[in-house]
Amino acid sequence: MTDGPLIVQSDKTLLLDIDHPLSDECRRAIASFAELEKSPEHIHTYRLTPLGLWNARAAGHDAEQVVDILLKYSRFAVPHALLVDVAETMSRYGRLRLEAHPVHGLVLVSHDPAVLKEVTRGKKVAPMLGLQLDAETIVVHPGQRGFLKQALLKLGWPAEDFAGYVDGEHHEIDLVQDGWSIRKYQELAAEGFWHGGSGVVVLPCGAGKTIVGAAAMAHAKATTLILVTNTVAARQWRDELLKRTTLNEDEIGEYSGAKKEIRPVTIATYQVMTTRKQGVYAHLDLFDAIDWGLIIYDEVHLLPAPIFRFTADIQSRRRLGLTATLVREDGMEGEVFSLIGPKRYDVPWKEIESQGYIAPADCVEVRVNLTEAERMHYATAEPEDRYRFCATTETKRKVAVALAKQHANDQVLVIGQYIDQLDALSAELGVPLIKGETPIKERERLFAAYRSGEIKCLVVSKVANFSIDLPEATIAIQVSGTFGSRQEEAQRLGRILRPKADGRTARFYSIVARDTVDQDFAQNRQRFLAEQGYAYRIIDAEDVLTQNKD
Amino acid sequence: MSANSFADELRGRADEVIAALFSARPDLLTPVPSDFSALAARANSTPSLMRIMESLNKHQLEIITAVATLGEPFAKSELVAVTDTSAGAELETLWEFGLVYKDGTKFRAPSNLRNLLGDEPAGLGPVSPKKIDFKALKDLPKDSALVLERLIWGPPRGQVTSVKAPGKAISWLLEHDYLLAMDSHTVVLPREVGMHLRGGKIYKELTPKAPTFVGVARKQKDVDRAAIANISTFLRWCEELAHNWSDEPPLALRSGGLGVRDLKRTAEHLGIDEVCAGFVAEVLYLGGLIVIDTDDQILPTNSFDIWMTRSLEERWETLIGLWLETSRVAGLIGKSDLKNVAPLGPELDRTGIASMRRVSLSLLSQNQEKDPDLQTLQEIIRWKAPQRFSAEYIEWTLREAEWLGITGQGAISSFGIAFLNGTEDLGVENALPKPVDHILIQADNSAIAPGPLTLELSNELGTIADIESRGGATVYRFSEGSIRRGLDHGKTGDQIKDFLKRTSKTPVPQPLEYLINDVAKRHGRLRVGSSHSYIRCEDEGLVAQILHDRKIESLRLRKLAPQVLISDLDVNEVIATLREASYLPAIENAGGILISAPAIRRAKARPRPPRVLSETQTPSAVIATSAVRALRAGEKASSHKPREVPRTTANETLDLLHQYIEEEASLTIGYADTNGGVSNRLIDPISISLGTLTARDHATGEIASFRIPRITGVSPAK
Repeated sequence: MTDGPLIVQSDKTLLLDIDHPLSDECRRAIASFAELEKSPEHIHTYRLTPLGLWNARAAGHDAEQVVDILLKYSRFAVPHALLVDVAETMSRYGRLRLEAHPVHGLVLVSHDPAVLKEVTRGKKVAPMLGLQLDAETIVVHPGQRGFLKQALLKLGWPAEDFAGYVDGEHHEIDLVQDGWSIRKYQELAAEGFWHGGSGVVVLPCGAGKTIVGAAAMAHAKATTLILVTNTVAARQWRDELLKRTTLNEDEIGEYSGAKKEIRPVTIATYQVMTTRKQGVYAHLDLFDAIDWGLIIYDEVHLLPAPIFRFTADIQSRRRLGLTATLVREDGMEGEVFSLIGPKRYDVPWKEIESQGYIAPADCVEVRVNLTEAERMHYATAEPEDRYRFCATTETKRKVAVALAKQHANDQVLVIGQYIDQLDALSAELGVPLIKGETPIKERERLFAAYRSGEIKCLVVSKVANFSIDLPEATIAIQVSGTFGSRQEEAQRLGRILRPKADGRTARFYSIVARDTVDQDFAQNRQRFLAEQGYAYRIIDAEDVLTQNKD
Repeated sequence: MSANSFADELRGRADEVIAALFSARPDLLTPVPSDFSALAARANSTPSLMRIMESLNKHQLEIITAVATLGEPFAKSELVAVTDTSAGAELETLWEFGLVYKDGTKFRAPSNLRNLLGDEPAGLGPVSPKKIDFKALKDLPKDSALVLERLIWGPPRGQVTSVKAPGKAISWLLEHDYLLAMDSHTVVLPREVGMHLRGGKIYKELTPKAPTFVGVARKQKDVDRAAIANISTFLRWCEELAHNWSDEPPLALRSGGLGVRDLKRTAEHLGIDEVCAGFVAEVLYLGGLIVIDTDDQILPTNSFDIWMTRSLEERWETLIGLWLETSRVAGLIGKSDLKNVAPLGPELDRTGIASMRRVSLSLLSQNQEKDPDLQTLQEIIRWKAPQRFSAEYIEWTLREAEWLGITGQGAISSFGIAFLNGTEDLGVENALPKPVDHILIQADNSAIAPGPLTLELSNELGTIADIESRGGATVYRFSEGSIRRGLDHGKTGDQIKDFLKRTSKTPVPQPLEYLINDVAKRHGRLRVGSSHSYIRCEDEGLVAQILHDRKIESLRLRKLAPQVLISDLDVNEVIATLREASYLPAIENAGGILISAPAIRRAKARPRPPRVLSETQTPSAVIATSAVRALRAGEKASSHKPREVPRTTANETLDLLHQYIEEEASLTIGYADTNGGVSNRLIDPISISLGTLTARDHATGEIASFRIPRITGVSPAK
C-alpha cells in the first residue's frame, strides 16, 4: 500500500486529497482523463467516464498510462475490475474509423470485423450504411457522417473521423500582435485543434477563449461562422477580433435579432439560429450562405439542442468548440463529443489558478425571518405562487437596501428575477435598472458607466445580466431567482466574483427567507458553491440591520 | 469369476497395500468390513466402484476401459499390446485401487466393473461367436468400407431397415462376419474386427499426461494488492447488502429464494451486476448471516452482528471456508436457461462443485504468480477428473475466487495460499488498510472518511448521513433527511454537533451547523400519538376535577390541553365509568356531533351469516356430467374385475408381469393399500424397474406406479 493522495472508489469516482504533498502532481496527471466534478476545500472529486477516457485516447493517451497513473497515486489497492474496465473502455475508441474513399466517398473502416459486424446489426446504424466493400470496409450513405458518429457513440464504439474537411472559401486572416502577444497555452490550444481537425478546447473563464478562436481562424485563413450565446457576447467577439486580427469592420458581420449581415466572418447568436417561423427554422440557410472554412461554437456547454442537428449536417467543415466545462446540464456531452469533436486541449491547472478562476470568493447567505403575517400568507399561498411570494417579501427588500447602503463605496450589483421587486428596489436605492426591455444601446451605456465607476450601483434582472462582463463588481446581492442551471450559476458567479485588480475579494450575498422553499434553493446553491471551492457562511438578517444602525 | 477369488487375492495383499487401498477408497472403511469377503463384496459394489472411477484421471480411465475389452484373465503384455507401455505403470496403480486383482501372473477385474463400463467399452462391439477370417478384407467393396469406417471408432452399432434384406454393402459384411446382426434392425461391428481395423490398438492416442499450465505472468506483490482490494470490496458488499436488507427486507419467493426484482435492486444498490450480487447473498446465506425469516422476509441474523465484531481477517476466513465446502452453485443464478434458479433458493445444490473448486485452487497454488488461461486450466482438470469435470464450474470458481480475493489479477494471492495451507495468520489484517477514526467535513455538507471507518463510527455516521460513494474511502452527505433520521434515532442536535466536532479533523462548516440547528428546531414540534377516547369540556374547572377524581383513576386520563383529556380505554368504558362516578357525559362522533345514547346495541363485526347445510340441491350441469363420466369408468373397471384375483407368489408375480409386458396385454392385479385392504385393478403393464411396476390404470386412464411387493396376485383380464 502506498500513501498516495488519490482514493479510487468503486463507483469510478476519484477522491483527491489536496492537502497531500503529491496532490498537485497527481491533479495534473489525472486531469487528462478524469472530469473534475467538485472541488471543495479538502477533497476534490473527479469522475472516470467513458467520454473522459475517449477524450484522453483522442489526445494520445493510452490505457496503460491511465492505469499506471491510478496505481501510482492511489492510496489503497485499486479494484482490478475497475482497471480492466478502463482498459476495455479505452480500447473501444478508434476501433472504427471514418475515412474518405477515392471511389465510394465516405467509408466506415475497422480492422476488427467482429466490431464492424456488431455495429452494422444496430437498428439505428444499419440504415446509414451501404454496400460492404470487403470484410473491413462499409460504404456510408452521404450526409450521414454526423448521425453515424452519434449513433456509434451510443453503441459504445466511438468512431475516429479521418474523412477530412473542405477548405472553404479562402479569406486572409492573421493575428496582429501589437502591444500584446498570444499566450503559450493559447497557441498550443489552437494548434492542438488544428491538428485534430475538429474538436473542443476547454479553457476557464477569462483565459482568453476569443484569442484561441482568433488563432484558429489565422490557421484556417478561411471564412468563419462564429456562434455565440447572445448579442452582447457577439459584440465582444467583434471588438476582440478587430483588436487582435487583421480583420476590419467591413469583414465582420453580425447576424442577430437586430441585424442580418453576412460577411466573411459572421457572428451569429444561438437565439437567432433557433428562432422558428411557422415551425421552420428560418435562419438555417446561414450555414450554407458562404462556403465556410471554419465554424466556431462559443460556450459549447450551452449549445442548444437544435444546433446539434444542424451540426450533424456539416461534418465536412472544421468545427471548433470553446467552453469552460465539458459537463452539460442536459447530459448531451456525447453529442458534443461526436458532432463537434473530442477534447483537443485543456489548460493545465496551474494556468487556471493564475487566472484566478478558483480564487476564494466570499459567499454570504443572509437568512431573513419573515414576519408572522408574511408567514401566514406564505402558508396559505398556492404552491406555484409560494416561491414568488417568499422571494419578494417586504422584509427581504429592507435587508437588500440595508446591504446596498452598507456597501455604498463599492461597485454593487443587485440581481433579481421579479421585475416589480426590482422596480421597487431601483426606486428606493435611486439607481438605474436594467431589464429585458432595456434597449441594447442603453444597456451598453449603463454597463460602460458602471465599469468606469461612474455608476456605483446597478439593479439588473435575470434576463439582462446574461453573460455580462463586469469585472469591477465587488458586491453582488441576489434578492430572488435561482440562476437557472447550475452551470449558468457558476459562470455568472465566476464573472462577478473574479478577484479585483486591487486584490480585494468579491462578495456574493443572497437573501433567503427562512423556512420557505427559498431556503431549499439556497441549500442547493450552497452545496454547489462549496463544491466549486467558494467559502460560504450564513448570517442572520438582524445582524445586517443592527450593523447598519451603528 | 466369482468374488471369492477377489476376496482371496485381497486377503493375500500386504497390510500396507490394503492401507493404501483404504486411503484411496475411504468409502470401503465406513463401516469397517467384517472380513475380506465383505470387503471384496463392497469393493465390487456399484456405488464404491463409481466413486473410485470418478477419482481416476483420464489416462487411468483409458487403461481401465482397455482392461474391460480384454478377456479374463489377461496378462499385462496383452494390455500393453492394445494400449502402450505407459499402461504397465498405470496397471499397478489400478491394482492398488482394487480395480484389478491378480490371478497368478495374470489379472482380472472385479465382475461388477465390466457392467459399469458397459457392453461396449471404448466403442468396441461384442466378441464375435465365430472365428473371423480377415483375408477377405482385401476384397472389401467400397461401399462396405464406408460402412466400416463409420463404425470403427464407435459406437459400433448401426441401424438398417431390415437385416433380412440388407443393402449390398451391409450384406457383404454380414456374409463375411464382419458385421453381426443384433436384432432385426441393428447390426454391430464385432470386437475382433474393430480391433483389427484399429490396428490392434484400442485408442488412436493415449493421453498419459495432463496439458501444461498456461498463464500470464504476474508479480506476487501486484497480485496481493489486487487481492486485498477484492477482499475489502467483498467484505464491504456483504456489510452493505445486510444493511440494505435490514432497511428494506426483500420477501422470499413462494418457492424459496430471492426474487429477480429484489436481486436487481440489490445489485443496483451495490453497484455490481446481478450475478455478483446473487453470489454475495449466497455467501452471506452460507454463513447464516442472513436468513429467510418465518414471515418470509429475508433479514440479517444475530450472527451477522457477531460476525461484524470480528476482525476483517476472521470475517473473510469464515466466508471463504464456507464457500470452499458448499455444494451450492451460485454460478447457476446468472444462467439464462435456468429461470427459476433463485439465490437462497432450494435448487442450487449440485454434487461435485466442491471438488472442482478444490482442484482448481490447488492447481492455482501449484502455479503461483500466474493468471491462468481458462481453457487450458479446464483441459487440465478435464484430464485430472474426466468423470467429475464441468467446464462451467471451473469458470465460476475462478470468477468467485477473484470476487472473494482468494485470487488477485487472476493469480492466487498469498492470502489464498495461506488459507489453503491452513496457516493460522493469513496476513490479511496487516495488508488491509488500517481503520481510520476521523472524517473530513467539507463546506458542501459532505464528509469523507479517508479509509475504512471503525465499526462504531460508521454506525454512528450511518444514522445521520447518507452514503454517496463507496470504496477505499466513504463519502457521506448530510441533508435535512439524514439529520432528521439521526434525530429520530433519539439523538439531539447538540449531540450530533458534538459528535461531528469530535470526529472531524477539519472544523465543522458553519452552514452544516445551521442545517443541524434548523432541523433540530423543527424536529418533534408536531407530536403524533394514538388513544382510544377523549373527553372534552369547555369548563376547565370540571376538567381539573375529573383529572383529580380518585373514583375514575382507573381511566388513566391524561391532560392534553386545558379542555381536553385522553384515555387509552374504550369510549363505552369511559362513559360507563364516568356515569358511575355520577358525571353526565354525552358521546360525540369524530365530527363533534352529539350522538344520542344508542338504545339498541349493534355488533361491530361485519355480518357473517352461517352457511346453510341444505339437504338436496339440484346439481349443476358440470357436476352432473362428470358424475356420469366417473360412473362409466367405474363400470368398465368392474366389468373386467373377476371375483377374486388368485394369489401368486412373488416370483410368479414377477414372471407373469414380465410376460404380460412382453405380450402387451391387459391384466388384473390385486393390490394392497397402506391399510392392508386389497383392491383389484385393471391395468396395462408397461415396465418394471426398482421394484415398481409402471402401468396404465384403466380406472383413471393415467399412468401409475405400483409397488411390486404390494401386488397380491396377477391374472389376465377377462
